[in-house]
Amino acid sequence: MATVGTNNMQAKLVLLGDMGAGKSSLVLRFVKGQFQEFQESTIGAAFFSQTVAVNETTVKFEIWDTAGQERYHSLAPMYYRGAAAAIIVFDITNNDSFVRAKKWVQELQRQGNENLVMALAGNKSDLASKRKVETEEAQTYAEENGLFYLETSAKSAQNVNELFYEIARRLPKAQPIQPPSGMLLSDRPADRTAKSSCCS
Amino acid sequence: MLVQGAKDGRQVGGEESEVIFVRENVSMHPTQDASQRISGRFRILKQSSSLFMTWIPYTQKGNLKVASDMNNNKSSERDRNLYSIRAVPLAEVKSIWRHTRPLVWQYIIVVLNCGLAFPPLYFHNGGIKELLNKLKEHVHMVRSLDDANLYLLNDVVQDPLQKSLSSLELRDVVPVTSVAVAQNQLLAAISSENGSSKINTAISVSNESTGYEQRKLYSRRVGRQEESRPSAQQSHCEREQMPQSDSKFEETTISDEMASTRVGSFELVESKLNDYSLSVWGRARLPPLENEEWATFLDSEGRVVDSKALRKRIFYGGLGHRLRREVWKFLLGYHQYDSTYMEREELRTKKYKEYKLLKAQWQTISADQAKRFAKFRERKSRVEKDVVRTDRILPFYAGDDNQNVSKLHDILVTYSFYNFDIGYCQGMSDFLSPILFVMEDESESFWCFVALMEHLAPNFNRDQNGMHSQLLAVAKLVELLDSPLHKYLKQADCLNYFFCFRWILIQFKREFEYENVMRLWEVLWTHYLTEHFHLYICVALLKKYRRKIVDEQMDFDCLLRFINGLSGHLNLEAVLRDAESLCILAGDSGVACIPAGTPPSLPVPML
Repeated sequence: MATVGTNNMQAKLVLLGDMGAGKSSLVLRFVKGQFQEFQESTIGAAFFSQTVAVNETTVKFEIWDTAGQERYHSLAPMYYRGAAAAIIVFDITNNDSFVRAKKWVQELQRQGNENLVMALAGNKSDLASKRKVETEEAQTYAEENGLFYLETSAKSAQNVNELFYEIARRLPKAQPIQPPSGMLLSDRPADRTAKSSCCS
Repeated sequence: MLVQGAKDGRQVGGEESEVIFVRENVSMHPTQDASQRISGRFRILKQSSSLFMTWIPYTQKGNLKVASDMNNNKSSERDRNLYSIRAVPLAEVKSIWRHTRPLVWQYIIVVLNCGLAFPPLYFHNGGIKELLNKLKEHVHMVRSLDDANLYLLNDVVQDPLQKSLSSLELRDVVPVTSVAVAQNQLLAAISSENGSSKINTAISVSNESTGYEQRKLYSRRVGRQEESRPSAQQSHCEREQMPQSDSKFEETTISDEMASTRVGSFELVESKLNDYSLSVWGRARLPPLENEEWATFLDSEGRVVDSKALRKRIFYGGLGHRLRREVWKFLLGYHQYDSTYMEREELRTKKYKEYKLLKAQWQTISADQAKRFAKFRERKSRVEKDVVRTDRILPFYAGDDNQNVSKLHDILVTYSFYNFDIGYCQGMSDFLSPILFVMEDESESFWCFVALMEHLAPNFNRDQNGMHSQLLAVAKLVELLDSPLHKYLKQADCLNYFFCFRWILIQFKREFEYENVMRLWEVLWTHYLTEHFHLYICVALLKKYRRKIVDEQMDFDCLLRFINGLSGHLNLEAVLRDAESLCILAGDSGVACIPAGTPPSLPVPML
């Protein structure tokens, strides 16, 4: 869930999508500015964080990168539970990965989190000559389902930062830390500081 | 997966041990009969600052001795296996007694801390003086005041785990009853050596700082030794009267006793030891098993005579890289220990044909057929996606159109037909990669992979129950072996242990460098102390970082990130020793934490 401090927020973001679509590569490009031609598969999950500045606010993304194979599907809820944002990734050169992306969208919609910001990323746009999924098709699907669509390339870095910035902009601004009663304050703030010390 | 710097892929061979002394034609004389003498090579090896003594009899071919008949041949072969001295750490050697009277063969008798003595080693070409001089350069060795031929090694406490606390002799003599005092002193001694992971180092340092005290300790120790332990000479006499063939068995029993002593001391100290940097306890690791010594485990037709001894040897030292191709097949269960060279050759041919048939099952699927076979297309494409990103940094798998990458692909697709229910799962390519790297041959790699999956396929079950049972077992083991950590994780709501998922799913493949992954796996595959040694490794690692985890109040996210970040920063040898100690310490209570049928145990048959 996105939480707001004075001028900064933390937002949990999860990446979902078929294996080999480029989830880890997108994160690596965004967090470290790197690209590995043969990025190894993700086993279990990986966790990263990166902060972006939007207008007067900074958003610290806590990013969960998950394993893509359907076999590990049962673990996914553990990672998307409580997420403020989700990026669903598919490979524009692979139609099956687009089919799988739609399934992820349905699953997230079923969770009923109205505030969840969802992005659809058509990755590997550098391989345009091998394209199997047309931009228009993906664009239409995204619009119909309340997502925004961007074609990205972790390899060339095209639209990668834009993707995360756009999410940051769309995060609900005034989501208060709940509950506002103050009862738990003695507890929680200390928790937060401790967290940022090891996850900064 | 991590790959060591610029090393050539085929050269990965582990830490080489350095030979610091070698002497040929050193023999044992099991009987008075000169024809029964066993000749061999005596060596002192150095491996990462530890010294080892080995004496390996020559094989029949290389032997100077010619056996007179077949019977004789058989018995001498058995003796060869029986008497071999396979990498004894010098830290376990108490004394060396030399016999150098003129006109007789020179020999030495090596006595271990536990009181056991090896049969006399005759140096037919001389060299005892050189040996002793060489040893002086590397270990602390002094001549006994009472017997000029007796050399005492390790006169400072070398391995306190073998001794009761009362005999540690830290500054003052500690009464056996005041355990708490001894414990504090022990802890003080440990903390005096900043960041040291070995208690014996810590103690020797604190002793060195007071030279006078050390000498005092030494003389006291020699005196005590004479009261309580037979001198080398005495045990030599005993040895002469003992039936010779018992010597090996005796050695085994004694080392088992040592293990139980170790548990006692371990528990005592560890209960107060909260510093995560101080936890290495297990016995010194041996240098890897190499060809020459491997031969001593085999009879003339290639059967492994004592598979338990072999598994023990590999558990404590691993394998030299060149031996892996042969020995992994036994460890994985593809080869039977009691099979002969010939039977194994036959199996190879038979299994090759079988593999070709299995492979043909999917290779003969035509494009038209594939169009109507979604499951097949899906599986093949999953394998394709993963093999191109498995260990590509390694020269063996690097470059375009790499044949080995194609082999990975073909083996994995074939396996998905061989085990259609499981199919291909992410993580399998991680398991196969080192196997193919070692075997090179496609069919042999396939069958080794099949044998491994017999135990580990449940890791990939759709319902994740194989993984859940292992994660649950880790949780129980942590509760047993590290209750502060258990309490913390409970309070932090992290008891599902999913942060260990990668460790367990692919058995630490991504956590260590390639060579160390191979070392770790062969240790795990021995199933020597337990089939579930990898779970004790999880506990050892978590215990090691407990303070950091608790101090920084890590929640699940931080913990997962921290654990993933440990990849490439772990010291395998230390981890193995920690895990061994924990496993021994846990004993039956540990066994009780791991339900029957938990992978890699074979599933419990349904009634």
